[in-house]
Amino acid sequence: MFKNNSSYKIKTLIALGAISTLMACRSYVLDDAQGDLKTAFIDGEFNYSADLLSKFGDKDVYKSKDQVLYNLEYGTVLHFAGMYDSSSVLFSNAENQIDNLYSKSISRGVASLLLSDNNLEYDGNEYENIYLNAFKALNYMHLKDYDGALVESRRIAYKMEQLDIRLNGLATVFEKADSTNIANIDLKKVNTQSSAMGRYLSTVLFAKTGKKDDARIEFDRLMRSVFEQDKIRRFYGPEIKDLQDLTDADSYNVLISAFTGISPQMREESFRLFLDDAYVKFSIPEMWLYDTQVSNIRVKANGEEYYIHMLEEMDTVALDVFDAKRPIIYARALARSVLKAAGTSKLTDAAEDKGEGWGILAWLFGFLFQEASEKADLRAWQTMPGQSWMHVINLPEGEHDVTLQYLDAKDRVMFEETKTYNITGNTRLEVFESIYSY
Amino acid sequence: MRRTALLSLLILSTLMACKSNVINRVDPASTSDLSGQWNDTDARLVSEEMITDALTKPWLVQHNRNEQKPPVVIVGYVRNETQEHIDTEVITKELERAFVNSGTVSVVASQQERADIRQEREEQQVYASEETTKQMAQELGADYMMIGNISSIVDEAPNRKDLTIFYTVNLEMVNVETNQKVWIGNKKIKKTVRRRNYRG
Repeated sequence: MFKNNSSYKIKTLIALGAISTLMACRSYVLDDAQGDLKTAFIDGEFNYSADLLSKFGDKDVYKSKDQVLYNLEYGTVLHFAGMYDSSSVLFSNAENQIDNLYSKSISRGVASLLLSDNNLEYDGNEYENIYLNAFKALNYMHLKDYDGALVESRRIAYKMEQLDIRLNGLATVFEKADSTNIANIDLKKVNTQSSAMGRYLSTVLFAKTGKKDDARIEFDRLMRSVFEQDKIRRFYGPEIKDLQDLTDADSYNVLISAFTGISPQMREESFRLFLDDAYVKFSIPEMWLYDTQVSNIRVKANGEEYYIHMLEEMDTVALDVFDAKRPIIYARALARSVLKAAGTSKLTDAAEDKGEGWGILAWLFGFLFQEASEKADLRAWQTMPGQSWMHVINLPEGEHDVTLQYLDAKDRVMFEETKTYNITGNTRLEVFESIYSY
Repeated sequence: MRRTALLSLLILSTLMACKSNVINRVDPASTSDLSGQWNDTDARLVSEEMITDALTKPWLVQHNRNEQKPPVVIVGYVRNETQEHIDTEVITKELERAFVNSGTVSVVASQQERADIRQEREEQQVYASEETTKQMAQELGADYMMIGNISSIVDEAPNRKDLTIFYTVNLEMVNVETNQKVWIGNKKIKKTVRRRNYRG
């Protein structure tokens, strides 16, 4: 009877090892795909990036649990490829999916506890849920659909208000919990409570559509965001004097929006321990910021030069949120590793009762099971830019060439882009958007 | 034991192979709430109430009595001031249909529709035969313009579990000559949404 039972356990272990190896392989496929996508995006190959994503979609590289990520990536790529309508559809998909993932999957929670966090559904970080609306607002602005853009502004404002309520505890806060009943993130440890980029866009949109009160309120909140983000900034932020005309809708007719850098890199760090007969593998994700080569951005228009300031360090915000999540990611990884080690050790003992050869085989499979299944969750929005720069300028009626120059620390032009605008008395707002991901 | 497992696996895979999308045609008047967001049911409720209200309020009787002819209405822009992308034309087109079919209100083409029609008329002056060419400057001037807005208030519990959405839709009939508002219709809709913490 015992022999049969131990054979069953060994077979279970072998089956588990095989399944988890397959599952882990899938995660590595996604990591590679995301790496390829990031490289193409940094090079400014947006159409090729779109082709890559289409191919990944066909090959089911992004599983159902990764659909938020897929839509975020695809939405961003199409945004910068100038396909604004399609981009908005994909961002809307991501937003709805994030909303639906409020209900946590118990089976995926259990799988994440037994195998790895890669089994959890990617439900988007708080900042991602706000940035997607900012990109959607830009999409609608490009399409001159100000009602649509205003909808996004209201959503940005609403989401940040809700985040503020949760952070500042206006009511008893029961933080979003995963199915292991462990809070996913302690929002109180996050320094950045709102997006300066989102606030800036909202202020411009409210001002330009005659909603003066809303513009004033958003401007006050923008000031607060800029102040809050000073705590985490690596670079100089905007000065108040650069922003103070934002609520005066008649003082500008062109919005300059530039993006530099790229989202942080996720890397896996693994620790391996041999304790008596037990083997423990412990894998955790780490986030590393890329250094942007851009020190300044200069705008040349109508015979004048303007230096625009970095408004928001999106990459640093991501790191700040990751830092807040780190303790729980570590705790979960540790609990999982110990559980796996204890389980495989127990099964190895049972196998040894059947014979020494069985014991070695069981240990080997236990080792392989842990090696393959214990993998850090490296999923992240790869095409999210690193920094957001914004500025407004006023051009007189007529045709104008507007040039945007990305400058390095020695004021050398690394990349420049020129667009022509025909300003008339009816011009409400032109948007000049550009990206240089280095 | 092994035989039972194999049999179960076979049944399961057969069932999965047979699984396909299920599509049913349902009554458009049926209520379907999937996400809690603005949907066809809300648009229908607003249209029904606004149509009844607009066609039974005194402005119509007063106009008919004073002018001895049905009022001419142009449907203007209904602003979406909510947090959702709502196609307000779903409501305004229902109203136009009801006005025209009632025979008590005449409706002229909206601003966007007019541009195409005017272009067609201009081209007729050049390309159409003399007997079929429509005359310029014969458009029917509107007596009233219907404008409006949809706004919403969203209240969400800090834990995000419970959500209340309040929509208010305002439609106004404004006299084009005097700017007098002769009719204001309002429809309020309140929804509560409770999210599940867990699923399978």
